Amino acid sequence: MISRSAIGRNAQLALKRQCCVQPATRRGLAAAVSGGSTQFSYETAEAGGIKIASRDIAGPTTKLALVAKAGTRYESAPGLTIGLEHFAFKNTHKRSGLRITRESELLGSQLVAYHTREALVLEANFLRNDLPYFAELLAEVAFETRYTAHEYAEEVHDTIHMQQKRLLGNVSELALNSAHGVAFHRGLGAPLQPTSSTPLDKYLNEDTIQDFSKNAYSKSNFALVANGANHAEVSKWAAEFFSGASSTGSALSSEESKYFGGEERISHDSGNSLVIAFPGSSSFTSGSSYKPEMAVLAALLGGQSTIKWSSGFSLLAKATSAFSGVSANATHFSYSDAGLLTIQFNGSAEAIRGASTAAVAALKSIAEGSISKEDFTKAVALAKYRTLEEGQNTEAGLVATGSGIVHTGKAFQIDEVGKAVEGVSADKLKTAAKALLEGKATVSAVGDLFVLPWAEELGLKI
Amino acid sequence: MSQPSFAAFIAGKPWLSKPMYKIASWYCQAAGYRQLGLRADDLIPEESETVLLALKRLDQKESYDRVYRLRRAFQMSLSHKLLPKEQWTKPEQDYAYLSPIIKQIEAEAKEKADLETLVPNRK
Repeated sequence: MISRSAIGRNAQLALKRQCCVQPATRRGLAAAVSGGSTQFSYETAEAGGIKIASRDIAGPTTKLALVAKAGTRYESAPGLTIGLEHFAFKNTHKRSGLRITRESELLGSQLVAYHTREALVLEANFLRNDLPYFAELLAEVAFETRYTAHEYAEEVHDTIHMQQKRLLGNVSELALNSAHGVAFHRGLGAPLQPTSSTPLDKYLNEDTIQDFSKNAYSKSNFALVANGANHAEVSKWAAEFFSGASSTGSALSSEESKYFGGEERISHDSGNSLVIAFPGSSSFTSGSSYKPEMAVLAALLGGQSTIKWSSGFSLLAKATSAFSGVSANATHFSYSDAGLLTIQFNGSAEAIRGASTAAVAALKSIAEGSISKEDFTKAVALAKYRTLEEGQNTEAGLVATGSGIVHTGKAFQIDEVGKAVEGVSADKLKTAAKALLEGKATVSAVGDLFVLPWAEELGLKI
Repeated sequence: MSQPSFAAFIAGKPWLSKPMYKIASWYCQAAGYRQLGLRADDLIPEESETVLLALKRLDQKESYDRVYRLRRAFQMSLSHKLLPKEQWTKPEQDYAYLSPIIKQIEAEAKEKADLETLVPNRK
């Protein structure tokens, strides 16, 4: 006979187990999370003539973006890209801009429009379940915006002019724009944001923006990129809402980028900035002209510290540590068919003068092959980390993928990029650095020109 | 700006609109503004935010023409004269150029008020 107390105890234990041990499949966000994978590679497809790339990262939110090949490089007159960017999410034929804002607020989402030199991006961040609503919204914004005269006069025009004025006070942006202009002249050389001395009113009004939009949002000119959404679902809704895209509008195009190089000096009263730039590598998505050693070179030069409260141990940081009040930073900008490796100095004019000379000396030492093996390994690791992190970071990966599939049909696959960067050898790096110093450099100085050095004083060929 | 109007009601009934149309045309001619070269929409009082905004949204040509008509009418009124008959506003010239914009602005304001007092009711 079993004693009562024993049954009681067992029963208690069993009960305890039942309520405490939860099935492994149970999770807090079960309703919102789909069976998303943790893979960071994009699936690409074409639905209803629209290029689509998506990856199903697990999580309750989705980021859907329309990436159009309509950045400043492709604008047929100055300011059109920025005008089109500002007309995003304004009145459409179906509903007013205010209604779009309020509805997206109610659904708990965020709508953003921005542009890079090559792409114009309309982006929506929202909860996973709301995908159909936002797919429809992006299609509506792209194809059915009304481009009314009064919105242009009351909202778009003034905001653009304020942006122009803001840029005029920002020396580092001015210097980067100037370096791009000197390096590529037209196309990629067009400024990312127009300065206030650009005669925009001559080119920009609601009609020219509308004409530009017809080409920018024509079928072959944009791609849809989704993060955190089921591929089948994205294809389905894209085919439904975006198949109405006009195939008549001609896709925007620009001449193939050619590197020129040279020097530009702009005097400015509020700060100093110097940009030394060299031809870089095009982005990974462009295929054969992709040179991973440029990314490694940028990481080797470095500049910005990866450790808090320390200037870091990169070559630029070491070279410029003797000069206080200056920050040096090497960045590699890559585009679909060209790239620009820039070293930017911000700070006081005297410090920039000294630091830039030291930086050029550091670059020369790389070209002579006098870098330590340890530095090289660190640089490769950092470059790999940066590219992978950029790919994982949904925002950057989104634009890279979008422009990639619009330009060449290739998505930004971070695992392949990582491998390419890993494969860079010290010899390759040395040859690349040597080629840079032998070719023409680009030097842009903005600020106190009495002190800021000329390219010739730095020992660079232009 | 939006005064009560039977216009929509009458326009829906042909038996009513035909005689009313005649009366209306006679009334507009008799009101006297056409003899000063004005249009009906020139008579809308300007002293409201809505109308001021609508005037800003007029395109340049319309806006210039409006100022010209008003100044001419003032001049005529001061000198106690009417325009020569060939310069009177013809019925086909007397179209609504401003009131559609005013209606649009009012609709926007209404939509804004509606959306701002909205109570979300999510299932």
